[in-house]
Amino acid sequence: MANGFFTDTTLCIGCKACEVACKQWNQLPADGYEFTGNSYDNTVALGGTTWRHVAFIEQAAPLDRPPTENKWLMMSDVCKHCTYAGCLEACPTGAIVRNEFDDVYIQPDVCNGCGYCVPSCPFGVVDLIAHADYTEGRKFESDGRSHDDATQTAGGVAGKCTLCYDRQKVGFTPACAKACPTESIQFGDVDELRARAKRRVAQLEARGVHSYLYGVGEDWSVGDLNAFFLLTDRPGAYNLPERPVLPSTHQPAGYTSAALAAAALALAGFAIFRRA
Amino acid sequence: MSAQRGDISQLDPDRSYRGASDGAGLPAHAAPTYYDQPLLKKPHWGWEVVAYLFLGGVMGGTGILVALVDEDGEDAQLARSARYLAFALAAACPAILVGHLGRPRRFLHMLRVVKFKSVMSMGVWGLVAFSMPAATGVAVQAVDDGLLPPWVRPLPALVPARPLLGVLGAFIAGYTGVLISATAIPVWAIGKRFIPAFCVCSGVAGACAANAAVLALTGGGKRTFAKLERLELVASLSELALLLGFRRHAGELGKPMYEGPRGDKLRSWTMGAGIVVPAIINLVPLHARWKTLLASALTLAGGYVLRETLIEAAKASADDPKAAARQPE
Repeated sequence: MANGFFTDTTLCIGCKACEVACKQWNQLPADGYEFTGNSYDNTVALGGTTWRHVAFIEQAAPLDRPPTENKWLMMSDVCKHCTYAGCLEACPTGAIVRNEFDDVYIQPDVCNGCGYCVPSCPFGVVDLIAHADYTEGRKFESDGRSHDDATQTAGGVAGKCTLCYDRQKVGFTPACAKACPTESIQFGDVDELRARAKRRVAQLEARGVHSYLYGVGEDWSVGDLNAFFLLTDRPGAYNLPERPVLPSTHQPAGYTSAALAAAALALAGFAIFRRA
Repeated sequence: MSAQRGDISQLDPDRSYRGASDGAGLPAHAAPTYYDQPLLKKPHWGWEVVAYLFLGGVMGGTGILVALVDEDGEDAQLARSARYLAFALAAACPAILVGHLGRPRRFLHMLRVVKFKSVMSMGVWGLVAFSMPAATGVAVQAVDDGLLPPWVRPLPALVPARPLLGVLGAFIAGYTGVLISATAIPVWAIGKRFIPAFCVCSGVAGACAANAAVLALTGGGKRTFAKLERLELVASLSELALLLGFRRHAGELGKPMYEGPRGDKLRSWTMGAGIVVPAIINLVPLHARWKTLLASALTLAGGYVLRETLIEAAKASADDPKAAARQPE
């Protein structure tokens, strides 16, 4: 059984309850009070301690365009829990695993903070958690725990959405989906969610709203996404890649390139050192 | 109403929704990016990783030299010093990685799994494997030099140190390039056919330079220096050709590496002072210790700047949402 999220952006009202519920349940530190001026988005991006991020696309159409071209889109972004996950493949410690719910999970006690998963995510989701994220204004600063415990819970490791592994374990809905007041975030069996999402696209089309599913039935190398989206604009408008590429697909060309160079130089070296 | 709503984006879903990250085909008022916020996360790697990529290259190249050089012929002194250098670097590299991770135990976390899909896992095991023949090779040498008692000799002699050092050295010099190419960072991913190759070339050139410097200080034959200089010339000119070829191949995506102050530094330090100048110095028919040391120092500095440029360019590349939205296949 694969559990995942269906995030229907046409239902999102930008309330950020998902962000707050995620922070609260997972005991993640606040992001601070920085004003970006990017519409209502002061969260900016997903990060090591920010596992839901509501994007706001607010664009006014010029006056000579029909007013329906004004854009006021909201989308709650999250880790995609890819079928073929770049972070999982890159991890050299085996800290990143696929759990029994088919979700991509980072075991914080195994992670060694090497940071290779960070540039290996084609969606820019996973990030290293800095110690300062926790120690500044948080209770972990001097709680008397051993250094080992402190590293596991207070930074120095990679962090991203766990799809509320702990809540799923006891049969609860993940915090963000539970808190979402409009069911823009739906949690459940991925096959069921996909069927529901396809019906939703058809329903919207009948109402004259063009939409499509991002991460369902895709032919790209990361495979289908266990956390997929219903979008009404280009992926780039939501800061999603048009076509994510699984980093390990670059390995055959890379190894070949290295092997050819090494073979050529070994031959040259043999000619130079062993000719006599 | 229905028709108007359908016009919202005026985009053909198959063509434009999925293939217009550069803004082509968008209404004039549609922003091509999300407030220009980065789409990707950048690597957090600092000087430790730069130093490891650099020293790993020199170490791998030195392994290749150990395999190539005849230990009984006129290059015997090179064979000897290369073994010591390979061992010293094999000891230094894990220490640098431990420094990067923070604590020794974190390095051991990488030894709990073997993952063929993870280039970093392969690299760690390559490094561990390399350290074995590097240790046995240096033990044999140390017995011959009278630094270790003779009874040590039979044990390490069981390991075919030289061929192993050659093969594993080639792997170590190259895998770092594969490691960074196999990511989502546009400037790295577009370089999958170039970066691993010029990392190998830079590693071999750096190994020739480092070993020549060691020989210049400890004494070596004139003909040995000439051979090292010749191999260094082949390696570094190949590196230069690959660097120039990569610039053409990468196009827009290569800008973080080749333009601005970073590009100037790459041109002046790696291509100029690190490749062209040592080649000219080595052409001068003069056999002097200072000449070798100067040429070696420049080559090695160029190799370091190349790794630094690769890491820093990635950070700028990850910050470019247009490049990240259309990822190189």
